[in-house]
Amino acid sequence: MSGFAYRQKVTGEGTRQIVALCIPGDAIDFQNMFLSISDHGIQILTRAVVADIPREPLQQLMLKRPAIGVAIIHSTLIEASILREWVVNVGRRDARARIAHVLCEFAVRLEARGLASKDGFELPMTQEQLGDATSLTPVHVNRVLKGLQADGLISRQRRNIQFTDWRALQDTADFTRRYLHLPGEDEIALAAK
Amino acid sequence: MSEAHLLEPLVRRWSRRLPLSADDRSAILALPATKKSFGKDAYMVREGAHTTECNLLLRGFAYRQKLLSDGERQIISIHIPTEFIDLQNGILGTADHNVQSLNHSEVAAVPRSALMELTDKSASARLAMWIDTLIDASIFREWVVNVGRRDARARIAHLLCELALRLERTGAGRDGSFDLPLTQEQLADATGLTAVHTNRTLQSLRREGLIQLSNGILRVLDWEGLRKVGDFDELYLHQKI
Repeated sequence: MSGFAYRQKVTGEGTRQIVALCIPGDAIDFQNMFLSISDHGIQILTRAVVADIPREPLQQLMLKRPAIGVAIIHSTLIEASILREWVVNVGRRDARARIAHVLCEFAVRLEARGLASKDGFELPMTQEQLGDATSLTPVHVNRVLKGLQADGLISRQRRNIQFTDWRALQDTADFTRRYLHLPGEDEIALAAK
Repeated sequence: MSEAHLLEPLVRRWSRRLPLSADDRSAILALPATKKSFGKDAYMVREGAHTTECNLLLRGFAYRQKLLSDGERQIISIHIPTEFIDLQNGILGTADHNVQSLNHSEVAAVPRSALMELTDKSASARLAMWIDTLIDASIFREWVVNVGRRDARARIAHLLCELALRLERTGAGRDGSFDLPLTQEQLADATGLTAVHTNRTLQSLRREGLIQLSNGILRVLDWEGLRKVGDFDELYLHQKI
């Protein structure tokens, strides 16, 4: 309901990969309704308030009300689409594009839920966590963020990020919002003029 | 083959996971399905297309991929028979990635509207579709980890473990041998590696007596060894519910 969480998996060697970010309005573990074993971990990033829904009534709702069932499938499909994009992000983009892509995605998702203003947004992640989401070292993340700032694409004050050149940031990230399946046009309001 | 029979593999697969009533079965088999064939590397779905049908893979292999603006390709999943290659397009409407046929393949194409009607009629079919979607998502999560955090050897070994296990579960393959017509370039695109690196890695897995991969046949010679190198734990495939 409020706050942020992330999904993570840990390899046999003990390195962590963050595989998804959850923002307010996301269901963080609906899959546990029918898949009995959880295949990943969920951690809270910031102070968060969640609504706990008992498993049984939710199952009944899914089975008895087709429209709700389809809505739940819809949200899982969007999650899957974002995951596909993350495979591409860590698989084929360079460090600068990876970080820029995570920033673009996060901003667009927040804005679609009415959670970002045109002043920018609060990035609820440390540089270490950003590194785990992009398979980079914290040092590398730091260098990339400084680079994006030096090139005038973003400005930062602590964790507050502003987009000073939204179009250039999107180009750097190779970001198009199609995979988020949001209504609305390509431009987002929080892009600074 | 009559049209209804095209979807029998789907009924069989779904009924292994959850009980389907006689009504559920006949509703699924009554879906209008058309058989379509695709040649090697043919595009089955194109990114950006407004889709009107969903395709169940009957024969051959298919893979999902995304192209970057600089022309680089990332393969994001590989599909085997009885799986939907684009179930998401039944609900989302615009394709957010490409799907290509790996070799010669056949699909049963089901109109989107008919599939949506099925979700309205059958709670079990709705649930089965959702479980398919959840498992797809789980596999994507594992792929993020694979290309994000494993070294080249582990990435390739992990992918081969996953494919061998999924194929084995469908009854394909014999004595640890599987048809797997993946080129080294495609393997590289599925693991975020270069073709050269992939080639070198495959050679080392072969030298260590873990696998053989030639002429489109994968032979797993040392399952435990491959699993260990690949840091592979099948939990995420959710084969047992």
